[in-house]
Amino acid sequence: MSTLDPPGIACRDVSVRFGAGTSAVQALDRLDVTMAAGATGLLGANGAGKSTLLRAALGLVRPQGGAVSVLGLDVVHERAEVRRRVGFMPEHPCLPADMSAQDVCVHLARLRGLGRRDAVRRTSEVLFAVGLEEERRRPVGSYSLGMQQRTKLAQAIVHGPDLVLLDEPTSGLDPAGREEMLAIVRRLSTELGIRVVASSHVLDDIERTCDEVVVLRSGTLAAQRPVAVGHDPSGAVELRVTSDAVAFAAALAPRVEPLGVLLSPTAAGDIGLSASPDAALDAVRDLAAELGAGVTRLVPAARGLEDVVVDAMGGTRG
Amino acid sequence: MAEERVAEGRAVPAAAGTAPRAVLHDIRYSRFSGALRPRRSAVGAFVTSSVRRPLGLRRSAGAKVWPFLLLAVAYLPALAVVAVPLLVPAVQVQPTDLIGYSALLATNSVVLLAFVATSIPSMLTRDRRDRVLSLYFATALSWLEYVVGSVLAALWLLALIVLGPMLVLFVGSIATADAPGTWAADHAGDLPRIVLASAVVVLFHTSLGLAVGSLTSRRVFAVGGYLAVVLVGPALAGVLAVVTGDEWPLALDPSSGPVRLAASIVDGAISGPGALAWVVWAVVVVGGTVVLAARYGRGSDR
Repeated sequence: MSTLDPPGIACRDVSVRFGAGTSAVQALDRLDVTMAAGATGLLGANGAGKSTLLRAALGLVRPQGGAVSVLGLDVVHERAEVRRRVGFMPEHPCLPADMSAQDVCVHLARLRGLGRRDAVRRTSEVLFAVGLEEERRRPVGSYSLGMQQRTKLAQAIVHGPDLVLLDEPTSGLDPAGREEMLAIVRRLSTELGIRVVASSHVLDDIERTCDEVVVLRSGTLAAQRPVAVGHDPSGAVELRVTSDAVAFAAALAPRVEPLGVLLSPTAAGDIGLSASPDAALDAVRDLAAELGAGVTRLVPAARGLEDVVVDAMGGTRG
Repeated sequence: MAEERVAEGRAVPAAAGTAPRAVLHDIRYSRFSGALRPRRSAVGAFVTSSVRRPLGLRRSAGAKVWPFLLLAVAYLPALAVVAVPLLVPAVQVQPTDLIGYSALLATNSVVLLAFVATSIPSMLTRDRRDRVLSLYFATALSWLEYVVGSVLAALWLLALIVLGPMLVLFVGSIATADAPGTWAADHAGDLPRIVLASAVVVLFHTSLGLAVGSLTSRRVFAVGGYLAVVLVGPALAGVLAVVTGDEWPLALDPSSGPVRLAASIVDGAISGPGALAWVVWAVVVVGGTVVLAARYGRGSDR
């Protein structure tokens, strides 16, 4: 995964609290995170702080402590420049129901500094890109939820931002609409060169659209790692057999140690192999046949994204 | 057929020396690389949009009925007194002799209240209701640009219904005068007076209407709140005047107060309490501005 400089969003010791006294809610709790990937997925359960983090990055929420920078710009002191370079697609409905998608996009493009001619031209481009060119003159209020989501995305990129923040872009969409939205979001970072930070509570959405995942839990960073990790076919593996694991390991050790493979017990009571060249796997197969033991589990020791995320969201810091 | 391909704003002729007969437009999304306009251009676009919506422009025909009905009623007296001498040569009377500027202001005061109630507070409640402020403040406008744009749009709208009829009366009087040039020269001082008088009325109702509108996201509450101020206020002022046996409480009337002040600018004399009415006017205008700043100053959409 390549990283970009300056990072899309960088938080330093950021705290955001809503309310006061006993009813106060700590939405972000001394959060430290740097999102430098082309597309970053923000994952967490409801109330984990995803939307608050996006709103803090946009200057809509002012942190009680710490500093947030967007594209290297301080969101408090350089907010005008941040506004110019950022696009935002909120989760909630935010479009005037009596305006057409065309008028919404032209209007917002003009407010962001584009001349009328540029605004109209780019509106045509973005509505074409999100698949709304045929319906662009209908009032937004008559749109399906999927079309409203596309309109929200179109307005977010109409001025050509360097970074676009998407808050639950697939929220409320049917399967077909979700597929289309995910394809568009992926295209933003891979083809159009727009950095993306997308929040979701669906891991699959993040895996399919992002290069990096950031997991929040109770306003803190629970995990951060690349979505795609290079898989080493001869890397460490975990082995589980139907017979006694200790005896099996004792019999296996003399056969694999000459291959440079070391054995060690895992936390789950399985047999850990430090590497898995073909010869070592052949030795496992042969030994199991000789002892009449069954191999019930032989998996890479490197933990998958889902394991990391589930652990992080569940309480174990990844 | 000679063709011309347009890509990234550049036109490439298909063949040198031949005029293009068709153009291929590349409408795929691309990054914007043009220069952005100054911020005043963005604020101007916001003002234009904010003026259009209450008037129902670029909306359905039904959305235009009410605002244009009120505008028609507001312009009717001025147009009528101008049209009669123009269309009936036998009538040798000046329009301003039929209805003066201050009388025109008083005649239109009810229409003005109806127009303000239905258009000005909802300029702000609509943005809260649609939750579009998060887009504005996050990616488009600063809170100050938003407030300034809203105020300018409201001033423009109310000038349309307050200043417009008086300008019609002024221009119509020139047109119907026996010696238009002489009449215009003799009454040149009327123009700044009617502009200033209009400004007094427009500023008052802009400030009051926007301040009320900024306090809620529900249009019905904003309209009700504004009407409560301008309808209940005169009643309370009247009762207070009766109880005290004095006329100073009439200065507190938010409905007729600005019109009386405007009439004093046009006529040079004010009926009823003057100094206190100016104080009330200043308190409402400044107070409304303070409310707007307090409501939006954090730059938050909530």
